[in-house]
Parts: sequence; structure tokens; C-alpha cells
Amino acid sequence: MKKIKNNLLAALSISSLLVIVAPVQGMGLRSFVALPVEKDGAMARFAYEHSHEVDTDVLSASVAYGLSANQSLLLGLPYRLSPSGADRQGDLSLLYRHIVWQQDRQSGTSRLGLLGGVNIPTESDRDGAVQAGFVFTYFQNRNEIDVDALYQAGVEDRPASGRYDVSWQNRLSPANRLDWGIPPELNSVLELNGRWQENDGTVHQITAGLQWVHQKWVIEGGVVQDLNATKDWHYLLSTRFHF
Amino acid sequence: MKRRLTFTLLVLVAMMAQTTFAKTLEIDVHGMTCAFCVDSLERKITAMPSVTKVQVSLKANKVRLETDGDTPSVETIRQAVLDAGFTPVKVTVISDEKNKE
Repeated sequence: MKKIKNNLLAALSISSLLVIVAPVQGMGLRSFVALPVEKDGAMARFAYEHSHEVDTDVLSASVAYGLSANQSLLLGLPYRLSPSGADRQGDLSLLYRHIVWQQDRQSGTSRLGLLGGVNIPTESDRDGAVQAGFVFTYFQNRNEIDVDALYQAGVEDRPASGRYDVSWQNRLSPANRLDWGIPPELNSVLELNGRWQENDGTVHQITAGLQWVHQKWVIEGGVVQDLNATKDWHYLLSTRFHF
Repeated sequence: MKRRLTFTLLVLVAMMAQTTFAKTLEIDVHGMTCAFCVDSLERKITAMPSVTKVQVSLKANKVRLETDGDTPSVETIRQAVLDAGFTPVKVTVISDEKNKE
């Protein structure tokens, strides 16, 4: 019985590991966004996610590089730590983002980006995937809304999977902008997320958190609650740097 | 005496040639959002030659830059804003010491 439980937990852990890619660019906790990474600019994100039910930690490192003002390359690599010592490296996610529509306004922006890329397995017992999707960002005054969806078509034995995120960020502080200068900002984040895997169904999740946004770095954290029967919850901490 | 005057004149001409004229410009930019996002814009503008100071206003959606030499052309400034992922709307000269003299 214990062995079955361990196998089940391991399977769940690996499943979650395979779909976790911490988006690096922009301000959603778990969502991709269509905000710019400047030409020749780069951002890095390091995230830690703990799953309470499975008692597993996932560390992930992501990098975004701006090929041009509207083309970015996004790389993500997760690593799972488990109390049993069966640590595993996740798959390398390689995504290309192209902003195909952009409408900048005085008080905000709206942008639509297309995503395409591959998931490259880092261990021989797993197969790769091809991924495609879109990301839409709407930013107005103190609010940002991001919507994204990504589908992964598995190669050979790998099941297909997908995800969606709807994220709302609200600037809590400062309430009013300074005339000149960029002071740190505090944002609240509320997200509805979904993770689907072929033969395994969909887990809808709700994520709530806070972000402390400095001009050159961000520190953020949040709690993720599964909305399916298991009601598992996770928490995550992450930091991003612009360089 | 004549030599001394010529030398003094030459020194003055050399000093004038080295004098730099400060210029302040403001760029109206659309699409600026959060603190983290506009860092890229500040970096692009700061990296331009002769730029000595850059200030960003998310309130007024403006970037103010000061130069102390050959001011980058309007086209160079516009391209820097575009490369940062934003939309330049207008470039205005706020003060120009060279033209004051």
C-alpha cells in the first residue's frame, strides 16, 4: 500500500514538474505576459514552489532574452527536490514569443503575443513536446490583466498537456505616482490557473499573492489552491532580476 | 607683448572649443507601465552618448534626459524608445544652453 502511495505521489510530482515553467518576463505570478524585454536585454527568474500534499519542492530558473523589441526567447528549467531523495531535473522549455499586436496608450498598453517552442527532455526516460499558445496583456493605470494559454503536443509516449492563466494585478502602493523617479511598488495578484494533462484531467487553481517591485528586481510570493477534489495547496516564492 | 596676447588668445580659443553645452529634452512615451518594465527604457537612454542624466515620470509618461555634448538625434532617441518596447510620441527641447548664448 505504501509503495502504491509512493508511486502515486511520484507520478503526481513528475506530472507537476513537467508543466511548471516559471514565466520570467512581466508581472504575473504564474502567467506569461506580453510586456517587453528590450532588444539585447535579459531577465532572470528564480522560483521555489512547495506542494503541501505531495511534500515536494520545485526550484526553477528561467531566462528571457530580447531578440528585438517584440521578439523574445524564453528558457525555463525546473528541478524537483523530494524528501525521499529522488530528485529530478525537469524538461528544458524553450519558447519564442512574438508580439504581433501592440496598442500603447498614455495610461497603459494592450499587447498580443504568440508563443511557440519545444520542451526538450533532460532525461532519457522522458519524451519531448512541441508547444504553442498565445498571451494577451491589458494594462491600464493601476491594473494589469494577463491571459495566456499554452498547448503541448507530446512526442511519442508523452501525453499532451495544456495550461491557461488569467491574472489580475493591482498596484496597492504608491496610490499616486511621483512627478519624477521610480519608487518601489507593491502589487496584489489574483489568478485563475488551469493545468490539463491527457488521460489525467484538468486541475483548476486559484493563486493569490503579493509582489514587491523594484526598478531592477522583484520579490514575490503567493499561495496556490487546487480547486479539484484533492484541494491540495502550494506556496511559491520567487525573485526576478533585470540585467 | 604681442606673443603673450597671441598665446592668451590661443588658450581662450582652445577652452571655448572644449566647452560643452548642456541640453535638456523630454520624450513623451506611451505604453509605460510598471517600475520593472521601464527600467529597460532608462537603460537604453542612459547608454546613448553624451547623456548625463535620465529621469522617468510614470505620472506624466515622460522621460527627461540631459546631455553635455553632441545631443543624439531625434531619430536615435525614437529608435531607443522603440527598442525598449514602447512608443515614442514627441521629443521636446526643454532647455538648450548653446542657443541661449
